[in-house]
Amino acid sequence: MIAMKFPTEATLRRIIAFVAALGIGVATYITIADSGGGAPACLAGGGGCETVANSSYSHIAGVNVAVFGIIGYVILLATAFFANDLARFAGFATALGGFGFSIYLTYLEIFTIEAICQWCVASAVLMTILFVLNTTRLIGYAGTTTTAAVPDQG
Amino acid sequence: MSNKKEREKRREQRLQEETKVDAGERRTRLLQFGAGAVFLVIVAVVVLIVVNGNSESGGDAQNLKEVSAVDSLVQGIPQEGLALGDPKAKVKLIEYGDLQCPVCKAYSEEFLPQIIENKVKEGKAKVIFRNFTIIGPQSAPAGAAALAAGAQGRGWEFLELFYRNQGKENSGYADDEFLTAVAKGAGVKDIAKWNEDRKGPKFTGEVEKTTEQAQSLGLTGTPSFAIEGPSSNGLELLGTPSTPEEVEQAIDKAS
Repeated sequence: MIAMKFPTEATLRRIIAFVAALGIGVATYITIADSGGGAPACLAGGGGCETVANSSYSHIAGVNVAVFGIIGYVILLATAFFANDLARFAGFATALGGFGFSIYLTYLEIFTIEAICQWCVASAVLMTILFVLNTTRLIGYAGTTTTAAVPDQG
Repeated sequence: MSNKKEREKRREQRLQEETKVDAGERRTRLLQFGAGAVFLVIVAVVVLIVVNGNSESGGDAQNLKEVSAVDSLVQGIPQEGLALGDPKAKVKLIEYGDLQCPVCKAYSEEFLPQIIENKVKEGKAKVIFRNFTIIGPQSAPAGAAALAAGAQGRGWEFLELFYRNQGKENSGYADDEFLTAVAKGAGVKDIAKWNEDRKGPKFTGEVEKTTEQAQSLGLTGTPSFAIEGPSSNGLELLGTPSTPEEVEQAIDKAS
């Protein structure tokens, strides 16, 4: 009865794959721009990206937080290629973790670092979308079986 | 009443229902796990934010560390303003930094000592610190305070001591009390003059000037290094080198 009103799982998986691919792009750009001490270029001017990239919060144990972003987005992209409960739950759990981490990082940007980096905001928005999509997918399709194992690439 | 056909029909129905119940159970369990995960993540985020808010802000003016280590690092090396090294040294190594920047702190502790030991003490190069204030509102006053200490020949002691006692960026630690403690620890003799100098237009203006200069050079992060020597092509940008050896080679190349 719910499934009728929901987008089909194939549609959800296609959108998840697309948004996760965008996320990989954004996180990879931040990682590359930051390597060697630089900073991502802020599109609308202002030094927000420099301040954020130079802050002590931009690295955890010497690893740029954007690297964790890349890993998360890659997992999310992978889960879009399987239509089973494992993929549904893994996608949901990863998006949930990424969403929680994004909330924490955005909190730091606003209240501690006091600077906003558009690229980080872009990633936070993408992660939020992925969280909504994966939650929809889990609620709508957990426990179901479908025959289509790979999303339609059309 | 119960013939064979009916029995089979009932059996099939029962099997179908069992599969349904199975899928339903799996679904319920997954959703329960999901709800549990949501709860855990909410707790984790709240804990992180609370811990971050309560964590020590650093920059303890009452308890400066490593005063003697800083002394022995730069002792006996000529200083002029924020330039460290023989004034006649052919190569100028320029560091654009922000006193609040944690990466600059790491460079000052793990990177510059080797260059000071091998190149500056040998008279091959002098290191010049220029303020490139990008972290926050307390960066510029801290930079001007370093310049004012430099006016009394204690600029590098001030820089090094500040970095070794650096607090959490923009936590408000770099106030007058902290700056004064660092100046005293750095060996600034005339604190009254230092106080006057650091607030005067000469040094606050210089902080702005060097920050603009760094921006016009296209620098985006701190620390960024630049080098100039007889064999260099004017002022050459080194970016943020990953090893001290890289800088030593650049110094050799430029001299």
